[in-house]
Amino acid sequence: MLLEVKDINVHYGKIAALKGISLEVNEGEIVSLIGANGAGKTTTLKTISGLRPLTSGKILFNGEDISKMPGHKRVILGIGQAPEGRGVFPGMTVQENLLMGAYTRKDDLSKDLAEVYELFPRLAERKSQFGGTMSGGEQQMIAIGRALMTKPKVVLLDEPSMGLAPMLIAQIFTIIKEINSRGTTVLLVEQNAQQALKLSDRAYVLETGRVVKSAPGRELLDDPSVREAYLGGH
Amino acid sequence: MKGDEVTREETTPRRNPFSAIGHGFDLTRDWWEHAKVWQRYLVYIAAIVFALILPAPAIGSFMSPGADWTTVLVYPVGTYILLAIGLNVVVGQAGLLDLGFVAFFAIGGYNVAFFGTHYGWNYWVTVVLGIAMAAVSGVILGAPTLRLRGDYLAIVTLGFGEIVRITANNSDVIGGARGITNVPHPPPIFGEKFLLDPAPYYYLMIAAIAVVIIFSVRLQKSRVGRAWAAIREDEDAAELMGVPTFKFKLLAFAIGAMIGGLAGGTYAGKAVFIEPNTFPFILSATILAAVVLGGSGNLPGVIIGAFLIGWLPERFRDFAEYRILVFGGVLVLMMALRPEGLLPSRRRKAELREGTGGMGAMGAEVAGPGTEASTEVAK
Repeated sequence: MLLEVKDINVHYGKIAALKGISLEVNEGEIVSLIGANGAGKTTTLKTISGLRPLTSGKILFNGEDISKMPGHKRVILGIGQAPEGRGVFPGMTVQENLLMGAYTRKDDLSKDLAEVYELFPRLAERKSQFGGTMSGGEQQMIAIGRALMTKPKVVLLDEPSMGLAPMLIAQIFTIIKEINSRGTTVLLVEQNAQQALKLSDRAYVLETGRVVKSAPGRELLDDPSVREAYLGGH
Repeated sequence: MKGDEVTREETTPRRNPFSAIGHGFDLTRDWWEHAKVWQRYLVYIAAIVFALILPAPAIGSFMSPGADWTTVLVYPVGTYILLAIGLNVVVGQAGLLDLGFVAFFAIGGYNVAFFGTHYGWNYWVTVVLGIAMAAVSGVILGAPTLRLRGDYLAIVTLGFGEIVRITANNSDVIGGARGITNVPHPPPIFGEKFLLDPAPYYYLMIAAIAVVIIFSVRLQKSRVGRAWAAIREDEDAAELMGVPTFKFKLLAFAIGAMIGGLAGGTYAGKAVFIEPNTFPFILSATILAAVVLGGSGNLPGVIIGAFLIGWLPERFRDFAEYRILVFGGVLVLMMALRPEGLLPSRRRKAELREGTGGMGAMGAEVAGPGTEASTEVAK
């Protein structure tokens, strides 16, 4: 098992954001976290990547307890994240943004850089443009590409479809599939449940800081209660 | 493999005169970015020559009719420039708002004054000690506070500046409110004696500024500089890239403090006399104004800003009491018409357009120039 989250609790001040979340991600999978606003999806990702401290519980990566490890060291272990709201560096060019992803690496980057440009030809065209001047979709591409440049074993994607046009959403999901098929494990947080579930091997449904359901993605797509709550169907 | 070349952006000249001047600055900066190595060296040499002939009486009679021009160049102008370069590391490069920067200036100054008068230590030893003490106090201030962001950090640093001043005021060992008199001058260099003539101090100041500029530029271009830029633009994202953000923020504080300490030591060497009121809060604010006015993060801009902030009030001594009022008015006008500063780096402009980049939350909540209030609620 690549990533194991064991019964974690996270608080913002006195308010409990996560109340005992447990989940597992196996190597090579795409796993989704779906749920409404405020369910704790983003907090879960931030806790895994080390941006939020946890109050109790454990996070294991490749069997190693990383609960107390600072975020920048988790990157070296192989946890990459494209943060919520993209978090592109506005004053750096596209290329500089991507190279920031390789900040901790000392090996040859040219192959990985070429691969990101191959995945996102749009970025290759705009290498020297400032991140801040790119459109929402392009910034999302930068965020994902930059996370890939950390050479992650698992990449955490926080709402990659947020604020994008339907065409672009489809494109981003195709690319996520492609990234996965090239060997990177994906943990995906999405409000766009339909698309996410279609893509995922497994998914967890979060509600107010708890996991209320977990099953293979396809199964959840057909689950009546999930359909009603998150897919707008009957 | 660098970030390749930045595409030239179209900057349309705007109507008001300030923008026209600003546009001129932008053109200069764009030229500089594409300038060849020998062209750059010519500019460096020109800058050094300019600095060396600047105290000439012919220039001084226009620049400072009321006071001795060379003295004005040492303090406030040169000292402000040194302080501004130091504060620029903290504010401009790492994006941390520090309102108590004067504390490090005071620590550098007091070290020279105290160890020079009480123990008769060599001036240079005391300067180095002052720099070291400033760095240590930067770390002491930073370690517990750098977990705070934006406005909170600003408040704590403001408090620190006051704590240092008030402690000096109440410590009899270092003279209390009376301060320290008879601070020794630097020993002669190359037969040049440091006495009442301000010229040697001016050249000492130029040397200090040159060293600090080289240091600062090298830092900016290093891995450390990249880490600072990332922290300034998005701290969480920087951590996700593997940048040890806390460590680098602490380093920015320490290096900024060292430069502040050096400024204090240089200042004390000439001043003969220092007291707690030499280091008021308003000086922190003034230096911050210099950094922001010039173009936070861009060294030439910051130097120009510090020069203007140091020089203008001296030049307009004729206005007597009103000069500070006029000065304030000019600052307000400047920031209204060219909020990114006189000579901002291109990167800085892009950050401001996003509404991020330094100054913590203060920067994030204010819309950048030429944008509608871009409050991204989702963030």
